Amino acid sequence: MITLHKYVLTAVALAFLITSCKKDDPATPDPAPVPAVSNTTLLIEHHIDDVPLTYDTLRYTNAMGHMFSVTRLEYYLSEITLLGTNGTQDLVLPGPYYINGTAGNRFDLGTLPAGEYAGATALLGLTAAMNQTDSLPNTTENINMAWPVPMGGGYHFMKFEGHFLDNGTSNGYAMHIGRNENLPVCTMPEPFTVASGGEVVLRFNLNQVFREPNVYDLSTGNYSMGSMMLMGQLRDNCANAFDIGYRP
Amino acid sequence: MKYPALLLLILLASCTRKNMEELGPEAHLTTPFEIEPPHYFPVLDIPANNPLTEEGIELGRRLYYDPILSTNGPLAGRSCSSCHDQVTSFSVPTEGTAVLPHVNLAWSQNFLWTGKVNGGLEDVMRFEVNEFFQVDVSVLQAHAVYPGLFERAFGDATITNEAVAKALAQWFRRLVSTDSKFDRYLQHTEMLTDQELSGMMIYLSETGDCFHCHGIPLLTDNAFHNIGLDASFTGADQGRFLITGNPTDLGAFKAPTLRNIALTAPYMHDGRFATLEEVVEHYNSGVNPSPSLDPIMTKPGQITQLLLGPQQKADLVAFLETFTDDAFITDPELGSPF
Repeated sequence: MITLHKYVLTAVALAFLITSCKKDDPATPDPAPVPAVSNTTLLIEHHIDDVPLTYDTLRYTNAMGHMFSVTRLEYYLSEITLLGTNGTQDLVLPGPYYINGTAGNRFDLGTLPAGEYAGATALLGLTAAMNQTDSLPNTTENINMAWPVPMGGGYHFMKFEGHFLDNGTSNGYAMHIGRNENLPVCTMPEPFTVASGGEVVLRFNLNQVFREPNVYDLSTGNYSMGSMMLMGQLRDNCANAFDIGYRP
Repeated sequence: MKYPALLLLILLASCTRKNMEELGPEAHLTTPFEIEPPHYFPVLDIPANNPLTEEGIELGRRLYYDPILSTNGPLAGRSCSSCHDQVTSFSVPTEGTAVLPHVNLAWSQNFLWTGKVNGGLEDVMRFEVNEFFQVDVSVLQAHAVYPGLFERAFGDATITNEAVAKALAQWFRRLVSTDSKFDRYLQHTEMLTDQELSGMMIYLSETGDCFHCHGIPLLTDNAFHNIGLDASFTGADQGRFLITGNPTDLGAFKAPTLRNIALTAPYMHDGRFATLEEVVEHYNSGVNPSPSLDPIMTKPGQITQLLLGPQQKADLVAFLETFTDDAFITDPELGSPF
């Protein structure tokens, strides 16, 4: 027992010695404090190519040549990662952020480390941990985004609906994405600089959902829920549907 | 410390006094009332200036059942309960515009078939008091009982339209249905039959696609949809369009909750369907395309039919009947106080 105590005391003394040496070591200066910018927000905007989204008008044309309108747009963003460069670190905004295209979609971020960022990545939807039935708070928004248990459970990642013209006839389309296999991982390679209080702006180009790498055909794929193939195409197209910038 | 209990008593007394002073001259004693829905319901959003109290709810209940509310107004002689009977989930079968049931409206943001009123229960009750019933508060003020009930509920015997609306809002918040067979299934205290389970699978999958507008647990998404009842629209059938003027809203109506749906025939805004079987058949084969048809009504392949067989339709109706909450329609605390 005495021997054990001796070992413990020695270990404790050693630990003190090591930590105190490190603290006073002139060869390892404390890192310079990273300047921070307060009063920052996250703003989500919606466009059809370069035109701000207007609901309910059959005025847009997609890559397949179909004219279309937008009547509903709801989705989640999570794990928004601002990619650090030249001294800044990666910064993760876990979310999830529920977005409704008819709302303001401005979220308080508080203080952000200032500096240059190489771009960002984000999930259009939810992580596997979040995407489980009843895992999100029971708000009316989350309840309406539920993905039924018989169809795999969790939540819709996105509901994007409207009308389109097919050979002169107006029809409905419903681009719904859900299930972990179909989670879009969005990349935004645009560098930006956080210099003063302002807005991190994510811009969602809805026409990209129909464009590439898959030219999406609404006439044969007007309803995606239940089709892993169609949801897979939408997943791939959504990967490049966002860009990012900073607006002082 | 020789007298710790005495010191504690003095401390508590001073605190209480201070709180009463902070509350001001309007402070009065009321009994808080808690509504505790199952865990899968959304949190109730109760405005800070109209907390639920037993006194407020009881006053609202009395006003709901009392024709005095309509005295000297366009609906003289009628009470809320004239068109909202507890045994039919606070609805009644009528000809013409169907009467929406008063159930779980605490979670609603859009009211009436066209969403004429938006906001919370206080907002829609202001509409009911000021525009629908055109309540004459002087009649209530002259009543032998009401001034005292208002004083108990709100600390002021002077009756205002706003106080009437607040009392009614508390009562409507109390009209919560959470004990249907389907609720008990969700809480693992009762099993559904094989037929009901089959119907549930149809409801909760693309086979029936009911869940998008009637999701669990509220069984409404609180939004407006043109479900293809008509191909063209005139008069009241224009629906939400009459409020917004937006052509996309032509023929769109609020998705009603399916809570107690088996009790609230006839169905649709104009009561055109007498049975749930007729409703299911509409979705199955009767949807009329139009430019404002809700996109969700167009199924894969651009068809507007569900193509359910007879057994599937019967199973779906059996599942809809599990939304009936017998406790809600028989609870004496929700019945008339007269």
